[in-house]
Amino acid sequence: MSKRRPYVRSMDGWWRRNPYFVEYMIHEGTALFVAAYAGILLAGLVRLAEGEAAWNAWLAALKNPWYVGFHLFALAALAYHSFTWFKIMPRTMPPVIVEGQRLPAWVITGGGLAAAVVASLILLGVVWGMVR
Amino acid sequence: MESYRADVVIVGGGGAGLRAAIAVAEADPELRIALVSKVYPMRSHTVAAEGGSAGVKQASDSLEYHFNDTVHGGDWLCEQDVVDYFVAHCSEELTQLEHWGCPWSRTPDGRVNVRAFGGMKIERTWFAADKTGFHMLHTLFQTSIKYPSIKRFDEHFCVDLLVDDGRVQGVVAIEIASGELLCIEGRAVVIATGGAGRVFRENTNGGVVTGDGMALAYRHGVPLRDMEFVQYHPTCMPGTGLLFTEACRGEGGFLVNKDGYRYLQDYGLGPAEEKPRNKFMELGPRDRLSQAFWYEQQKGRTIEGQYGSVVHLDLRHLGEAKLRERLPQIYELAEQFLGIDPARTPIPVRPAVHYTMGGILVDGRCASPLPGLYAAGECSSVGIHGANRLGSNSLSELLVFGKVSGVEAARFARSVAAGNSASLNRQAQAVERRVQGLKLGRGNERIAVLRKEMAQTMEDGCGIYRLAATMQQTCDKLEELKQRFRNLRLDDQSSVWNTEWLLAIELEYQLDVAQAMACSALERRESRGAHQRLDGFEQRDDVNFLKHSQAHYVAGGPPRIDYGSVRITRSQPGTRAYGAAGEQAEQERKASHG
Amino acid sequence: MAEGQKTIEIEVLRYHPENDTEPHAQVFEIPFTDDMSVLQGVQYIKDHLDGSLSFRWSCRMAICGSCGMMINGVPSLSCQTFLRDYYPARVRVEALAHFPIERDLVVNMEGFIEKLESIQPYIIPREARTLSEGEYLQTPEQLGAYEQFSSCINCLLCYAACPQFGLNSRFVGPAALALLHRYNADSRDGGKAERMELVNSEDGVFNCTAVGYCSEVCPKHVDPANAVNQNKTNSAIDYFLRFLAPKGGAR
Repeated sequence: MSKRRPYVRSMDGWWRRNPYFVEYMIHEGTALFVAAYAGILLAGLVRLAEGEAAWNAWLAALKNPWYVGFHLFALAALAYHSFTWFKIMPRTMPPVIVEGQRLPAWVITGGGLAAAVVASLILLGVVWGMVR
Repeated sequence: MESYRADVVIVGGGGAGLRAAIAVAEADPELRIALVSKVYPMRSHTVAAEGGSAGVKQASDSLEYHFNDTVHGGDWLCEQDVVDYFVAHCSEELTQLEHWGCPWSRTPDGRVNVRAFGGMKIERTWFAADKTGFHMLHTLFQTSIKYPSIKRFDEHFCVDLLVDDGRVQGVVAIEIASGELLCIEGRAVVIATGGAGRVFRENTNGGVVTGDGMALAYRHGVPLRDMEFVQYHPTCMPGTGLLFTEACRGEGGFLVNKDGYRYLQDYGLGPAEEKPRNKFMELGPRDRLSQAFWYEQQKGRTIEGQYGSVVHLDLRHLGEAKLRERLPQIYELAEQFLGIDPARTPIPVRPAVHYTMGGILVDGRCASPLPGLYAAGECSSVGIHGANRLGSNSLSELLVFGKVSGVEAARFARSVAAGNSASLNRQAQAVERRVQGLKLGRGNERIAVLRKEMAQTMEDGCGIYRLAATMQQTCDKLEELKQRFRNLRLDDQSSVWNTEWLLAIELEYQLDVAQAMACSALERRESRGAHQRLDGFEQRDDVNFLKHSQAHYVAGGPPRIDYGSVRITRSQPGTRAYGAAGEQAEQERKASHG
Repeated sequence: MAEGQKTIEIEVLRYHPENDTEPHAQVFEIPFTDDMSVLQGVQYIKDHLDGSLSFRWSCRMAICGSCGMMINGVPSLSCQTFLRDYYPARVRVEALAHFPIERDLVVNMEGFIEKLESIQPYIIPREARTLSEGEYLQTPEQLGAYEQFSSCINCLLCYAACPQFGLNSRFVGPAALALLHRYNADSRDGGKAERMELVNSEDGVFNCTAVGYCSEVCPKHVDPANAVNQNKTNSAIDYFLRFLAPKGGAR
């Protein structure tokens, strides 16, 4: 009779065991804000289709301090999500070879982040232009 | 006791053992193969080989050159017919490994690239960056998975051979995970357990390199041949002994003393040139380079470090890009273990024990004098290394002779009937009682203390230069340690993963092997290759000692040493010279042969 | 211990199946020098304080892959992790996470070996070639396509870093998938279609949620997360190709 008795450790609370896992969970958690914000925009679209009064009511509701607070929080969450998303990006794609040299990870991450910032600024400019 | 019936049992899952297993499987898929290894195969010490594996590749090279380099490098203590077979089969085996997926470094046109190595006239060392052994081992291990007839017994520690009816018929092994013993029957057994460098203090070897298979064969009456020849590798990390591959010099690295002077030019290896020429300076053979270090130390021209004297391995002029490409592991070793950047700072190095040239006596077909028992790789003495092995010949050896041992073992297994299981089982039970008894030791000696004293006395007596008096002290000390071993005390009497028990068994193996080394060394009253004396025997003595030493096990005492002849076919012993002197000697040899 | 000798404490998670129902911590005090690895620390314990401590080790130079442990909660090779980076604080050492503990610091790795065997980790030749025809031609660029993935030393740190493997031990996991990709990406190999079955399977790449910690802890820069995620793309392509070419190579 073998005296082996391998001990299996519990996975309970695994995500608290390592800062890397905590960051991963926050990253995954912030995805909820991406979804929530998509929901808000969709609601706006529905209200727009319902007519001017409905649209204006929706706009007015957005000025509620709770909504403003939510937007600020969502902005922070989305920024964090984008940042960690681009950070992991080099690990998820095939190697990019430029002139026989493999593109280093920081270039891919940096490029992605730069693209995100530029896209956001353009969007901001467009909205700014429309508002004025 | 559980028992398993195989046809061929292979002990050792490193390069030679895996190559042997594949050879058996290819020779006859009907044969059941048991591959017994005390670690998972990819942990075996083949993994740590760095520089490369020799095989004639370039049009400017020839088998004759490889033969001459090997025989001269071995100070003519080689079996020349075996060397002939070896050099003729290296490239074929290396190509086979390429077909199996080994990621050899390539030239821009896609062919396998070769690099320069010590003592080799032409570049012929195939390499996979500086992780050649790692890639060869993993390629062999992963390829072995393809063959259903290979049944692996991973983490099974072989404790004895079963000999019945005048031939080997199996092994007894401990399943490490449970601590239970297992009888593995087989009509032929191949030992491929590697070297024994851990009997020395400062060495490049992994913890597993404890000479197990050598001791197993030795205790069953098979002589250990040429055990006095132990290779010191000249460029190792002070303290830990970790290896900085010879490829560092193959790629153009320099060895300098405390004045920044390339001191090898003072020891018959010069002249010093910017780019090291093959067989000159840093590309001389390992025994000569380690010996030169010793002299520099005597002259006070080495650098004093925390772990003894060092010289500098200077790679700075090669530049970071080339170092990262060709020597990435060396780069990381220097950074992580020494905290230095080799592209900016020279690496402190000193010689450490690296390789056992001698081993289990086998003929050119890997057969030992005990019928049914074969051996291949570092544990064996097939006769190609003589008194000093050339770097990159050992990886090729384990392929070429791993295969031979497998083919021959398969042939032998088919030629004999299966053994008498009842008789083998009785024997195995006796082995079990003995081995289990070791656990119960209630004396007052600790394993680590005995091991440390053994390693120290081996370094003292069997170092780069040797004296009769200190060698005698080492022999006496080893005898004392064997006595004290009987008085061992273990902290651990349990079964599951009892590694202290395994360490005790390994120590007993090591003491036997160490004794064979020291006693063979004492008896060799000449200087040849890696065996150098300072007590009136400074010269090579072909009249009395162009012979292989053979250590025979004697229960309860030191081994009996006798001698066997050396097979010389066409290369008569001559002056072994390198550098400019070597070039001149070669021209003279050519002239005299017309 | 000599007077004035610096010391450091190592806390080891012990488990002995013959005596213990569950693991427990034990603290040892050992002499400290600033070039000591954690491996040398536990070796000191075994040699001088408690011979019953069990762990695997061999090469001491980060190539054999034996000595992986959790060191202060991080999967690490103990031979290239140095006590000086923790001194004077206590260092916590535990068997690799997510594997069953056989005893002390020794884990059961049979599951990994089975996975390695399942990926067909050998060349399935794209075209046959005899030895007399010499080597297959493979340019440095073609070598570069798989070389990093062939550098895996099977140390299992990536599995100890992968929560998805911890939650589902059937997941083929980072190292085995990296090796699978290594063969698929080799210009000499033609076995990709055979291996895709496993990639696509329930235990395949889609268990990975791109935590990425596996690549973070890899001591050999294999970047297994990259191999796994490249194969998510390959798997998706393979899936759609099945619609386009019902009798094609993909199964």
